[in-house]
Amino acid sequence: MKFTADAAVSYAQVAATQIAGQFIETDPIDGDHLVPGELRRFLAGLRLLQGVPFSYLVPDADLLPPESIRFFYIDRNWTDALVQGALSVGTVTTTDRAQLETVYPQLRDEVDETERTIRTPTGEERLAGASGTITGFLLRSRIVSGWPALHVRAYSEDVVGDSELSTVAESHPSRMKLLRMERLAPAVLLVLIDGVPEVVHIEEPRQGVQFGARLDTDAPATARRAEVHPRHATTGDPLDVPDVPVPFRPGAPGVIDVRQLRADLKEASPQTHTDPDGLKIHEFALQMLRFPYRQVFGDPANAEANFELDRFQVTATFGEWETQLTIHLAEVDTDGGTP
Amino acid sequence: MPSTGHFILRSNVLPPVTAGPYELVSEQTDTPFAINTEHTSVTVSAPRYTMPPDQILSSFPPANAEGAWGDRLPQIVLKRRTLPWERNPLGLVDVSDTPWLALVVVAEGEAELSREPRPVSECVTSGTVLRDPSDRDVEQTYCLSVTETVVGKIFPCLEDLPMLTHVREVDINDTELANGDDDGFLAVILANRLPVFDAATGTPVRYLACLVNLEGQLEELPPPSEPRRDFQWELAQDWVFLQAVTDDADTWVTGGATSTAIDISQAGTVGLPQTESSGAARPKAGSSLDGATAMRTTTNAETWTQVTGTSATAAVTAAASDPNAAAVVRSAMTIGFHLPISVYAAERVLKFPVLAHWSFTTNEGATFETLMQDLGVGLLGELSTPAPDAPPAPTPTTVVASGHLQLDHRTRRGDTSQAWYRGPFVPHPADREQPVDGALSVAHSADHLRRVVPDGSEDLSYAAAFEIGRLLALSQLSVTAGLLRFRQEQFGAARLRAVVDDVLPWPIDTDQTRDLRHLLSTLFVGQLASEPVAFAGPTRPVADPGRPIEGLAGLSEARLDQLVATGFGIDLDKLARASEAVGVVAALGDTETPLLQRDNVDEASLTALRAGLTDEVLRLAEMAIPDLRARGPGPGDRRRSPRAHWRRDALDDLLDRPEPEEET
Repeated sequence: MKFTADAAVSYAQVAATQIAGQFIETDPIDGDHLVPGELRRFLAGLRLLQGVPFSYLVPDADLLPPESIRFFYIDRNWTDALVQGALSVGTVTTTDRAQLETVYPQLRDEVDETERTIRTPTGEERLAGASGTITGFLLRSRIVSGWPALHVRAYSEDVVGDSELSTVAESHPSRMKLLRMERLAPAVLLVLIDGVPEVVHIEEPRQGVQFGARLDTDAPATARRAEVHPRHATTGDPLDVPDVPVPFRPGAPGVIDVRQLRADLKEASPQTHTDPDGLKIHEFALQMLRFPYRQVFGDPANAEANFELDRFQVTATFGEWETQLTIHLAEVDTDGGTP
Repeated sequence: MPSTGHFILRSNVLPPVTAGPYELVSEQTDTPFAINTEHTSVTVSAPRYTMPPDQILSSFPPANAEGAWGDRLPQIVLKRRTLPWERNPLGLVDVSDTPWLALVVVAEGEAELSREPRPVSECVTSGTVLRDPSDRDVEQTYCLSVTETVVGKIFPCLEDLPMLTHVREVDINDTELANGDDDGFLAVILANRLPVFDAATGTPVRYLACLVNLEGQLEELPPPSEPRRDFQWELAQDWVFLQAVTDDADTWVTGGATSTAIDISQAGTVGLPQTESSGAARPKAGSSLDGATAMRTTTNAETWTQVTGTSATAAVTAAASDPNAAAVVRSAMTIGFHLPISVYAAERVLKFPVLAHWSFTTNEGATFETLMQDLGVGLLGELSTPAPDAPPAPTPTTVVASGHLQLDHRTRRGDTSQAWYRGPFVPHPADREQPVDGALSVAHSADHLRRVVPDGSEDLSYAAAFEIGRLLALSQLSVTAGLLRFRQEQFGAARLRAVVDDVLPWPIDTDQTRDLRHLLSTLFVGQLASEPVAFAGPTRPVADPGRPIEGLAGLSEARLDQLVATGFGIDLDKLARASEAVGVVAALGDTETPLLQRDNVDEASLTALRAGLTDEVLRLAEMAIPDLRARGPGPGDRRRSPRAHWRRDALDDLLDRPEPEEET
């Protein structure tokens, strides 16, 4: 009896698959969908503005001046219009359009889902889910051309300390997925982020361990200066003492008077060395270590250093503001009516 | 071993002995007979005039790179941790904690690197006494010639030297730090010079990093000098004017051009002003591989607009495609460092053997940090405040708070007007159109998306998006074809649905028609469960009746008993009587079963027969109770043999009965 039932069920399934296979696409990468995979991925790429001319993205050069970073939200209606435009190809008759209207809500959901899979870093899990807000930024700077492969990370919560050397994996819950990260021009970087990040880190590319000093770029060309910030000899943490100006040898630019620097670092704080005679070789090396620089955007702790960063902190959404305004106007109305 | 992402800094790792020939002398005393002393020669070898490539793990800045290296000390990382201390720089046998290696960074025009490898004896300042000159790993090497003045300015002092070399211990599995090292211990040699940028004129500076051997020349290192807190760009000594000589270096080398018009008195002058005209006035540099000419003419504006490298870098890149690439790249990288200083210098010129060298260019005054901090930060749609001295823009940009921009618009009738446009990037969260009753409005042409805003002008943002989306789809044939195929399949599917609707006896849930396969399976299984007989036929009984045994048919129960009893040789009457008193089972147990031909059966075959019987009984029992094994000892179940599941009966007693030996 069991055998008969199995056979019957599998026969029914084969038959049903044959019928259903006519209009259900089983994608080898991400399973069953109504819309064929190649079409879905093209539309999702379009959603991420792949191939859209730059002047459509930034209509005026004044919006993105040199040496600037501009954060934005994506207007999903705009990208939907883009997709609708693509779908309109070949719709000739009324039935074509009726069919498109019937299938469009489903299609939109499926493309929303595919959007997240366009950029899939190796070793990370595929993420899926309904669409949300997409944000991002455009960076136009010499940084983009001069430091290829710089790191961009977005976090929904500020879990990583600003000066912490480590980072969290891309699959960490607080880490926001980058939907697209691409250089549109040698000096223009476009990054799309899946959600509204609280902080964005842009970090210098890591190239092993480096040593050096901080150059004072404000100093005039005729009297350039550099400094080293003392570190704790055993923990490596920055000490709460003023920076040590780097002593240079006269006559040759950039040649450090190492002997004097060692003596200065000894004077700077008793915590820079363990031996009363002065810094040992490895302690000196520790002082000279330079880590990749990390610029943090959106961290309120940085507000006093970079006032402009405040602007990225959104205090009220447009919808909220609208509601508040309506309530306020209603109050004004009733107030005006009572006297 | 440190964990991944961490490393340990150590001051130094000193080898037990320095490199060189040793003699092991073995003596044995207090023996009744004399034993000859044994002499064994041992050579401890170490690189001396060239660094084997497999000992160099990495160098920074990268060779031939251009970038903002001004705030980083050049370094070279060696694989063998003891390497910098394997020779005593004073030429002694004892191990010294002063390394014999130093990384010297010279700017273009400050020093001379020999064009070709020279015999090692010519690579040190004449008069230098080296311990064991025969100990050499190569016959020829490169040589750095620098004047005493330059040594005094850029070479590390004796006290600096140990500070610049340390040992790093890393996790060998950390690809970023260990970089493929075998034991995780690395010797790091730092330079004492920041390769700074010429900030005053904004020109890139090319540097050559040389790993030099200081053996026997420690006293040539400069004494400590009065430190300064600031510096300005100037060459330690400017020999760039010798460029004119190197242009016909070939004739000079062959001794042809003895009358080159060079003002020797210039030698030793420091800090020649580098003007734009000096580059232009110089005669044609001869080969395209010459980097110096191009570098001088690169203006600051050009470095901003044009990100391509200087021609020196380009020359090296081009040389990399040469069949003899390694040698060509190596020599191309040192172009500009071949000024014949040793010939023209009026002062003493010191020579150092170069174990490794590479060049790089600092072309940027700003660092990552300063560029980042100087970035204009804002939301897209914000205009930067123009510089006060900037000329007024011909057409000022109008951007409103919503992010819309006013652009010139030519209408279809030819009128010129202004229209609003906003790209996909907006400065505030934008609400997305949500489906109403599962339906979304779909635009079928760009005109559907034209909007008129209260001021009477048009908002063409979405219409433009629609149009560019359409064009992008049309630009790819595969996408257009895919769209049409998709539509065709959808129509086919709709037709099929209509047919299925007519044929199927149950109604199709319209919400699920999208996935007919699931629908059909679910419906089928549902129907199957509710009416199994109708779908799959009547059920089969668990066990079938056995086939009738011939000869037993028609026998009464009493006759059957008699038959069995006769077969076993049991007296049925006696058993019946006994069973009345003690029950059938006990009576059976008491009944003796006669054994036939006992004498012919030996012990072994009896055991085998008994085992066979046991197995057969068990097999039959399992057939009768199919889940006997499955029931076996389960969790919490007491450990019992399968046979313990039922009560012992007479058959068990019979089987287990000890062998009746005295039986006759």
